[in-house]
Amino acid sequence: MKMPRFLTVTKRVFMDLKNDKRSLALIVIAPIFVMFVFGLAFSGEVKNIKVVVVDLDEGAAGVSSAPLPEKIISNLDEEVLELEYADGREAALEMVENGEAYAAVIFPPDLTSSALSGMADGSPASPVSIELLLDRSNINVANAVTKEFNDALLATVEEAGMGMPVKVDATAVFGENAKFMDFFVPGIMAFAVYMITTLLTLVTFVGERTSGTLQRMLATTLKERDIVLGYAAAFSLIGIGQAILLLLVGILVFDVTVVGNVLLAFLVIALLAIVSQALGILLSSTARREAQAIQVLPFVILPAFLLAGIFWPIEAIPAWLRPLSYLVPPTYAVDASRAVMLKGWGMGKIWIDIVALVAMAAFFLFLAVLSLRTRKD
Amino acid sequence: MVDDGTGLMVETRGLVKRYGKFTAVDHLDLRVRKGEIYGLLGPNGAGKTTTIKMLCGLLKISGGEAHINGKQVPDGRIAAEVGYMPQETALYPGLSVHQNLAFFGSIFGLTRREIEVREKTLLEFIGLPEWRNEMVGNLSGGMKHRVSLACALVHMPPLLLLDEPTVGVDPELRVSFWDYFNEIKNRGRTIVITTHYMDEANRCDRIGFMHDGHLIAEGKPDELLSLTGCACLEDAFMSFSAGGREEAER
Repeated sequence: MKMPRFLTVTKRVFMDLKNDKRSLALIVIAPIFVMFVFGLAFSGEVKNIKVVVVDLDEGAAGVSSAPLPEKIISNLDEEVLELEYADGREAALEMVENGEAYAAVIFPPDLTSSALSGMADGSPASPVSIELLLDRSNINVANAVTKEFNDALLATVEEAGMGMPVKVDATAVFGENAKFMDFFVPGIMAFAVYMITTLLTLVTFVGERTSGTLQRMLATTLKERDIVLGYAAAFSLIGIGQAILLLLVGILVFDVTVVGNVLLAFLVIALLAIVSQALGILLSSTARREAQAIQVLPFVILPAFLLAGIFWPIEAIPAWLRPLSYLVPPTYAVDASRAVMLKGWGMGKIWIDIVALVAMAAFFLFLAVLSLRTRKD
Repeated sequence: MVDDGTGLMVETRGLVKRYGKFTAVDHLDLRVRKGEIYGLLGPNGAGKTTTIKMLCGLLKISGGEAHINGKQVPDGRIAAEVGYMPQETALYPGLSVHQNLAFFGSIFGLTRREIEVREKTLLEFIGLPEWRNEMVGNLSGGMKHRVSLACALVHMPPLLLLDEPTVGVDPELRVSFWDYFNEIKNRGRTIVITTHYMDEANRCDRIGFMHDGHLIAEGKPDELLSLTGCACLEDAFMSFSAGGREEAER
């Protein structure tokens, strides 16, 4: 059987890559590097926050158990908060003001007595406040400190038998025991494939244009669509390869859990790779040299980085900016692969993402072919 | 020019290429006979490369028409009958000589066996059989030019369109290139070659002088010399371009 013409281009791309160790390294090592860098440094978990504790609590007469501050502190996560102690409020505040700590907590003298006063006779406890002085210039850290103290307080109150009359009972429908990396891997998989495929196609195709090989190909029996399809086939396979690699690293190193059909996730990534390579070909028509091509990249990479829902949900993006997210191809791939891998959703539930990716692929492939045809004018 | 009865490989009638208001090729009437080496000569910007690219189907024709081996451009069947060698070496530096030849051969549907056979002949022809597995990026400029010629020949086309194939090639290699061209011609193929080296024109069977998109003169080198009474083709070209198109046609 005769090989379709476009596959000669696919085969040539692979031959070129096989001989080009640098590009091969970019394809294999860069996504893993990105995953490690973001996975380890940007885990979404804040740790080792310095907090100053001022314990003025005088305890309660006739209570044998430990005072409340001790109980609250014992319920704090030691990995998240790193506690130091100060003698008074002023000293603690000074430490926060000098940047030596992110927060100061002041347990008032009547904390235990007021809180427990109602326990003996069954009447409600007297209202008493724990003062938290926060450096809110770093909102992530401030939120983490507040959450830690709220959780610890709740746990302490429950241990003391002063259970809340109403409480929230949360049950995970999806993502039971899910870690940040479980959420992050599908996103970084899509981002790495998008970034590397666009970059490689863009640079390779500027090379095809400047070296004359594109003209030479177009002077043969190859049509513009054969060249674009040849590249699409090559880069979709490379995209799947990258996704497999990232998933293996995710599972083996970061203990990522996959509950859905990974083949469906690979299909999504392959579609994204097709969109990305068509975009790369299209953008290559705007550049005369490789250096010019690189200048275009920030406009391609940054919107995807910030708006595609890789690091935070699209719902966290301001409503007026959100429509832009839906113009960025990785948005659909991140959403679909995350739904497949974390929620176990099938084609029946991610079809909108698939349709969007197929439509984008068709649109960009068409434009890429058109960009090669307009060269003739 | 009178057709000597061997038939025409290339024929253009009133061929025009416009870029906006600029006319790069202006009503070009060209007739290239089968089995000859036809040289398109002229300075940079004369319209030589644009003409070649229109014949290859790389540029759309703005006016007039072009025929290759009886088929009107554009026609999907023409590509298989044309071997195109662009000004740049237009090879993949990251592929070996063999891989480049195999790629361009496979585009034309050649089988692996066919490619092997032709590759052996072509590498002997260009004198690089021992460089088969060398990366093109490691070859000298002259070697790359030779490999580029081999890639244009791999599917054995009856017509070769060579766009300034000797630019940047040292004089010694230029001589050997013309030996290749003559041998290709002796095997029954037609060559249309563009150049701005007037000394190369003497090696063509016929030449056409191009200036500002016009064909200002056409004929055998000695015919053009006798028409102008010049001793060299460079002077003949200057004479025709100064005298204008009308004089050249007269």
